[in-house]
Order: sequence, then structure tokens, then C-alpha cells
Amino acid sequence: MEDYAYLFKIVFIGNAGVGKTCLVRRLTQRTFSSGQAATIGVDFMIKTLFVNGLKVKLQIWDTAGQERFRSITQSYYRSAHCLILVYDISSQPSFDSLPHWCRDIDLYTGTGISSGSNRNVFKVLVGNKCDKEREVPEYIAANFADNHNFDLFMETSALESENVERLFHEIAENLVLRSESEKSNTVTRAQNYDVNVKATDKNRIIKQCANCQSL
Amino acid sequence: MGCCGFCSPRYKRLVNNVYPSNPIDGIVKSNLEKLKFYAKSSPEKLDRIGEYFAQRIARDLYRNRFEYVFMGMEAMEQILLTSKTQSLNLFVESFLRVIHQLLESQEPSIQLLATRAFVKFSNIEEDVPSYHRKYDFFVSKFSALCHNNASDLNTRKMLRLAGLNGLKGVIRKTVSDDLQVDIWDETHMDKIVPSLLYNLQDKEVIPGFSVPDSANASTPYDTAEECLRELMSKVTFGNIRSVLKPVLKHLDNHHLWDAQYPDEFAISVFQTIMDSIQNQHSYAVIQILMAHLDEKSKSQRKSFDSSSEATTRVRTGIATVLSSIIAVAAAESIGPSVLEIINSLLRHLRNSINNFQMVSINKEDEKQFQETVINALGEFANNLPDFQKIEIMIFIISKVPPSSSDSKADIRLQDILLKSLLKVSTKYRTVNISHAFPPAFLNPLLALSLAADSNVRITVQLIFQQLLDRHGNLSKLLMPVTLTEIPPLNIEKAYRQDIMFMRKHGPELLSHIYKNLQFANNTPENYNALYTTLALFCIEMSSEETLTEMLRLIFIIQDMTKNSSLTLSQSQHAEIHRLVAAFLHLIAQLTAIPALCAHVDQIIKTRNSKAAWMLPEYDSEMMETKMSEVSEDLLFNKEIISEALRNSGHDTSRLSTPLRDSGSVVDSSKAISTTDLKYVDIDVESTHSSPGIIRKQQEIERINFQDLRNFLNTALTDEQDAREERRAQILLKFKRADFADLVAKSNKNNGVLQTKLNDLFEKLPQMESPNGEVFANAIKNPIFSIQFNQCNNGYQREANDEALSEEEKRSAVAHKSPFNSPLYSLQFPDVFA
Repeated sequence: MEDYAYLFKIVFIGNAGVGKTCLVRRLTQRTFSSGQAATIGVDFMIKTLFVNGLKVKLQIWDTAGQERFRSITQSYYRSAHCLILVYDISSQPSFDSLPHWCRDIDLYTGTGISSGSNRNVFKVLVGNKCDKEREVPEYIAANFADNHNFDLFMETSALESENVERLFHEIAENLVLRSESEKSNTVTRAQNYDVNVKATDKNRIIKQCANCQSL
Repeated sequence: MGCCGFCSPRYKRLVNNVYPSNPIDGIVKSNLEKLKFYAKSSPEKLDRIGEYFAQRIARDLYRNRFEYVFMGMEAMEQILLTSKTQSLNLFVESFLRVIHQLLESQEPSIQLLATRAFVKFSNIEEDVPSYHRKYDFFVSKFSALCHNNASDLNTRKMLRLAGLNGLKGVIRKTVSDDLQVDIWDETHMDKIVPSLLYNLQDKEVIPGFSVPDSANASTPYDTAEECLRELMSKVTFGNIRSVLKPVLKHLDNHHLWDAQYPDEFAISVFQTIMDSIQNQHSYAVIQILMAHLDEKSKSQRKSFDSSSEATTRVRTGIATVLSSIIAVAAAESIGPSVLEIINSLLRHLRNSINNFQMVSINKEDEKQFQETVINALGEFANNLPDFQKIEIMIFIISKVPPSSSDSKADIRLQDILLKSLLKVSTKYRTVNISHAFPPAFLNPLLALSLAADSNVRITVQLIFQQLLDRHGNLSKLLMPVTLTEIPPLNIEKAYRQDIMFMRKHGPELLSHIYKNLQFANNTPENYNALYTTLALFCIEMSSEETLTEMLRLIFIIQDMTKNSSLTLSQSQHAEIHRLVAAFLHLIAQLTAIPALCAHVDQIIKTRNSKAAWMLPEYDSEMMETKMSEVSEDLLFNKEIISEALRNSGHDTSRLSTPLRDSGSVVDSSKAISTTDLKYVDIDVESTHSSPGIIRKQQEIERINFQDLRNFLNTALTDEQDAREERRAQILLKFKRADFADLVAKSNKNNGVLQTKLNDLFEKLPQMESPNGEVFANAIKNPIFSIQFNQCNNGYQREANDEALSEEEKRSAVAHKSPFNSPLYSLQFPDVFA
């Protein structure tokens, strides 16, 4: 039963051991395990949020950071609504490899050539482990995020659950905003059948409720 | 939902009734039957039923009432399986939505349930296409499941199996239907293929995992392989690339090209692919793999960093894979594609040689790579038909740098390319020598046989040996120069074509061998190789002609040592003497001519006592200094040997013709040119004796049509008249003249010749047996005389010439009797005298 207004696919990427899986676990299961094993391939989680009274479902694909899984993880970029690039603020190398990741994003989201950076994949930069001793200053990361057209930058801690909920809420809000404006654009500009599927979904939900009450 | 049971529509009531009030009771079977019957009888309600089920299951799932979820799924599956109607389509929509929701759950048991249901669904054949159905999520999710890493091994295994089965279901569902989602799309294949490979590779990750119910003990490994096979067997030509690209990427990323663990993974994967792919596509796999190899070596050349060593090993790994699967494709590839493959392999060899010059490269790895590429070449050639092997050999030799070049890289390339040529030639089974050595191949090969590098020369000799050996004698002869008894050889009389070949190219071949012996940098291995080649020559071309040629060569070689102008070291002198001795020993063994054997044995004995260094198997360290002086009795005597041959009925005229008077390098070139001149007439001869077609062509060229017509129209009538007249005269003469005159006339004409002939026959050696002698006296002479008589007489010939004309034939028959008597008289002059 499609009881949600929006469904967004979110993909976590970043070097191995920066805490992607821990962030996801913290969000979906509210737990933290210090001895988290390395992810193999791709992991999958669901998180439902309410944004402005609308039910938003987040499909979270947690990819392996290890290089050897690059080929399979990259194949998940394409269909994503939002890419979260994670680095470890206590590890300079993980920050240094960010340009490399940015190139991959451009390559594999299918945005690169067609419409530059303004395509509607929502890019987020996250500095994790902000409970630890800092190696990467915040302003440098913020600058980096600006220069590379990231839509959002945030520092989080999966251990202390700092900013985790907020991160996802902001993402969800932004995505909802974005798709709503897009929807209105498409509806007003061209009355074709390319109307966002979610609109019909919402109608259906309402109808079903009406049905129930009438019976 | 606060609907009262009585007001709800019938389908809802039926669905509700399926669920028991207490989950422990399990599904209500009788009510499920009722629902099934209802669905069957009114299929238009199916979509409503599906929708309602989806609603209920979602609610149960949200409330964690898993028992009800299971029951709901069971009911849905039952309905799905029983109702096979067109309206199933809408029901399937809700069914898939439910599965989607179940897969989103974190509960392993629910995920398993979902995959089971999906597999069941994938086995149903739908006859109505559904264009809008999307499998994106399923592919993503199943791929994720394939990588499951749950801490509990059992769960991990079950979930991975579920993922693999799900992928298999997706493939089965979509591959066969062109209207379905394009499963071959890059986005899907990038997920499916690595997942399969990961499970293939990861079989050790669940070590010693024993399944309690071993009846259906399918491991993720087996399922993954099965799935890969299914995928590959369904791939079409256009999609091969999209399937293979992820494979290559995966192998790159996981560094599996050169991994020995598990079980040389890359090779086994590609073998699986080649096994299951449709035959006509196997060539494309090779092409893609080849392209990947190209890419790798290109990237290596660009970056000479620390990783280049690793990439060399990767390239070796790829080449190994190529060599292990290329055989499958060889049967399918034809024409230009063959040369294309060979060409790119050769290009890799050349690049590798260039890399060799770099200091930073690990030479061992590079060498191994070269070996592997050569192997791949050999494997490939092995599976081609023989005529293509020749083509390939010609192709390879055309790529070899000329023997004149002396840069280090070129020599190395020569060496490597000739090695690959050798590899190909070992796979070629020579039937006809002249086919094995077409001029386009023979000439460059001969040129290379005089290369400056002694190793290259040895390789060339090895190639010769491989191609010459038709009777499997090579292994017996492949030994250092020796006097020991040779194991019985498999010898067959040479074919006509072989002798023709020998006539045409023999002198060239032998003179190259002769030149080969003169190189100052020859090593003992060179001499051994030359010995083996000579011996093979002798055996494969076993004809009298060859034998004399070989002997002639041997004596020239022996004479060479006498020549002081040659810059041969003492040990090389010794080597040459040894080679001569060993070869003559071999010939004596082969021909078994007593006199020859005796002479060879005697010389060997003399050498043994006086100058053992001239014999093979002599310890070279004990070499004396006085070896420079070689007395005549230590050398093989040409006269004695030719006498021995002549006595056993061989034609030794060739042996005695001096080929070269001196063996100096300058003179030898001259000598070769004279021999070439000498063979000009032989060449002509050989063309004359070659099949008639060629000869006819030549004659036709000389006589044009007009000539022929003129000849037919005019000349014949005139000549005919003249001949007719002469014949009439002769006839008249014979009719009128009396017998005595005729006898006298013929005697006068033939007397001198007759006596000459008789004398000649007298002189003939008395080879015949006693009664043969009688025969010769009584019959032979008269027959000869008759023939000469007839020639001189002239009449008989005329009669034969005109035999075609019917009239003349009759006249000849009519006048036969008059000549009978003169003929008889000629035949038996004693009686008539």
C-alpha cells in the first residue's frame, strides 16, 4: 500500500571507514556499533519521515567504500535523488580524496554532459566523526562544498547522534521542495502525461480515504 | 479501517475470511478455496482482490504481524498460480508492490519470503506484455542481497541465495521478452554481473559451511554460476559488450586477473562464459578481451609509476585468460579476423620488447608476459585449419625485422617473433614439404637463418626441423652430434613433389646451411641444431638425388676446415669435424652400403686412435694444441665414398662435380652463384616435367590463332600433294624392282650402322644372366636393326603419318606383302644370305 507522498533514493558514498554505515544505522535503528564490519557491495535501508505533514520515504543505499566494489557501487548513483558524500574530519586523506569522488559523481549520475551541475541530483557533503579530534577545518570543507556545487554541507557524529536527524530532515525538506516546484512547473508549462507520478499517488490516497468513509 | 463486515463487498469479505481469528491456527483452507473459486469465476475482480490484499499485508507488516503477512502472501501466490487469465496483469501489479514492500523490510525472513514469491512469479509465463512494469528496484535490491554480510552465516547464505535467485528470476522474466524493460541496459548489468561474480569468487567466505539439509545443498557459488550461464546463453551479439564490461571491471577492481585464488578465478570465469555463450558470439568475447589488453598496455605506457609492475602482471593474467579460451573462438573465426587477432598479439609482443628497454620494468614479469602471449598465439594457431597456419606463419615472418638490423631491440624482437613462429610451426602437421614452405615463407626464413645472433639462428633451425619432420623422427634426432646408434627411424620414400621441391630449393637450403656453419659466433648448440636439420633433411627427402647432394655438401664442409682464411676458432674446427663424422655415420647407417660403412668406420677408428678431438662426444677440455694439423687419413675420402656409392648403383656424377674449389667466404658467394647458374637448366627441366598444364600454356603462347588457321588451310594441301607423289614413287619402285635389288639397297644403307650397333651391344657390360646374354644376341640386335631400318627406309614413317586417311590405310594393307620379305631378310640376315 503506497501510503507515502514522496519516495527518494539516497546513496551514501565516500572512502572506506568514514562512517557511512554508522550514520545510516544511527538514523534507521538508533544504534551505534563501534566494531562495524566493512560493508560489502551495497546495503539497503528504509526510513520514513514527515515533512510538513507529508509522509516521505527515504530509500537509503549504503555503499561499500572499498575500491574493489567501485564498479557495483557506481551503478547505484544513476537512479539516486540524493548523493551524500561522507568524509572523516579526523582524517585528512579521506578529505583529500573528495575531488576524486566528485569526478565520479559527475561521471556516473549521468549529469555531466547534459545539464552541468544544475541537474536535480541533490549533493550533500558530510563531515562525520565530529566528536573526534579535528584534522580538517570546517571552513575549508565549507569552501570545498561551495566550489563543487554541493547543495548542503554538514558536520555530524554518528556516535553522539549529532546532526544526524537534522541532516536527513533537511535533505527530505529540500527534496520535497524541489520536486514540488518541479511538479508545478511541469503541470503549468506542459499538460502532458509526464506529470510526476507522486501526484497521482497522492490523489489515490485521498480517494481511498473517501471511499472508506462513504462505505 | 472502520468498515463493518456486512457492508463490504463480496471480494473483501472473502479475503477477510481467509485470515483466521487466531494467527496460530494458520490460513483457513476452505475459505481460501472459496476465494480461489471466486477469483476464477469472476476474473474482473482480480485487480480489486490484489489491491485489498496489498493493503492488508502492508498494514500487517507495519504492525509487525508477520504471521498474517505470511498467510497473505500464501493466498496471493495461490491465486496467482491458479488463475491464468488475461486479467492477471492487474493482479500482478499489486503482487509486485507487495513484494517491493516486503523487500524493504529489514527482517531476513520477510526478505526471504519476498524473494520466494518473486521466483514463483518469474516462473509464470505471461502472454500479455506489460510495458510499464519496472524492475529497477528489484535488480538493485537483489544485487544488494547478493552482497549480504550478515554475521550469522546461515542467514548470510540464505539471503545471498535469495538475492541470486531473485536476479535469476528477473533475468528469466525479462530476457526473453523484447518488450520488457531492457535488462541488458548498462545500469542493470553493472549491478547483476558483479553480484554474480562476487558470489563466484566468494565461495571461500563461507568456509566449511555444512547445510543440515544437504538434499538441496545449493551454495551461492553454484547458483551464481548457474545464473551466469543462463545469462550468457541468452546474450545476443549487441549485448555482449554490456555484459562483459562489468566482468572486466570487476576483475580489474578486485585484482583478480593474476590471482591464483580462488582457482585462477579469471580463467574459470571466462571459461564458463565461453562454454555457455552461443558459438557464433565467442569471437566477440576474444575481441573485447583483446581490446581490454590493449587498453591496459596503453595505460601502462602512459604512466610509469610504481603500479606499472602490477599492470604487467595484470596483462600477463589477461594474456593467460586469452590463451586458455582462444581455442574455443579459433574454430569460429575466419579470414581477416584471424589475422587481426594475430596482429594485435604481435603488437603486444613488440610493445613488450619496447618496455623491456625501460629500466623500471620488472624484467621477469615482462618475460612472462611475452611467454604467455606466445602461448596464446600457439593455442590459437593450433585450432585453425592447416592452410591458415601457413598464412599465419607467412604473416608472422613478415613482421620480423630484417636480419641485417643489429639494434638490440630488433634482435630481441627477432628472437621473440621467431619463438612465436616456432610455437605455431609445432602445431602444424606437414604433409607436403612444398606446401609447408611456400616461397613467401621460405625466402625470409632462409634470410633469417643467416642472422647475426646465434640464438636466432638456432630458432630458425628449430623451425625448419619442426616443419620438416613428418614422421615423428625429430625427438629421436634432437640430440647433440653423436656417434651412438640412433633408434629405428620412421622412413618413407620421398614423394615426387618433395623431390621437385628439393630440386627447386635444395641448393639454396644447403648453401644456407653451409653458410651457417661459417659463422664465427657459432656455439655447440648451433652445430647440434644444424646436425639435426641435416639429418631430418636426409630422412624426409630420402631419395638418391638428395643423398648425393647431402654428401656433396658434407665434403664441402669438410674442405672448409682446410681453408685457413676462415676465422673459425679451433673448437669450431673440431665441431665441424665432429658434425661431418656424425652425419656420415648416420648416412652409413641409413643407406647400409657396405663399402661406405666400412670407410666411415675406418676413419672413425683412425680418428679415435690419433685425433679423438675430431669425434663427437669428446671432452673438449682435453683438446690438444696440435689439432691444427690434420692429415689426409683422418678425413673422409670423397673418392672412396663415391666409389662405394657408384658400386651400389647410385648416380655419383653430381658428387664429383666440384661445387666450390675453396671454402673461403668470398669465394663461397661466387661458388653459390655458379651453382645457381648450374641449376638454371635444372629449373627448366623441372618446369618441363611438372604437370602438363604449364607446358601447354607456354606453347599456346607461341602459336597464335592466325598461324594455326593458315597452317590448317594452306600448308596441308600442298604438303599432302607432295607426299602423295613421293609415296606413289616409292610404291612403284618396290613393285617393280626385284627382290635382290631391294636387299642390296637396304644393306647398303644400313650396313655401317648395323655393324656399329652390333659392336656397341658387344661392348655392353655383361650384367645379364647367362640366358639374358643369349637373349641379347638373338633378339636384341635384330630389333634394334629393324628399328633403324625402318627409320632409314622412310616408308614406314610415311605410312604412319598418313595413317589417318582411310584410303592410304587400305593401300598400305594392300602392299603389305611385298615388304614382308625384305623385312624378314633384314631381321634374319644370316638366313637370307
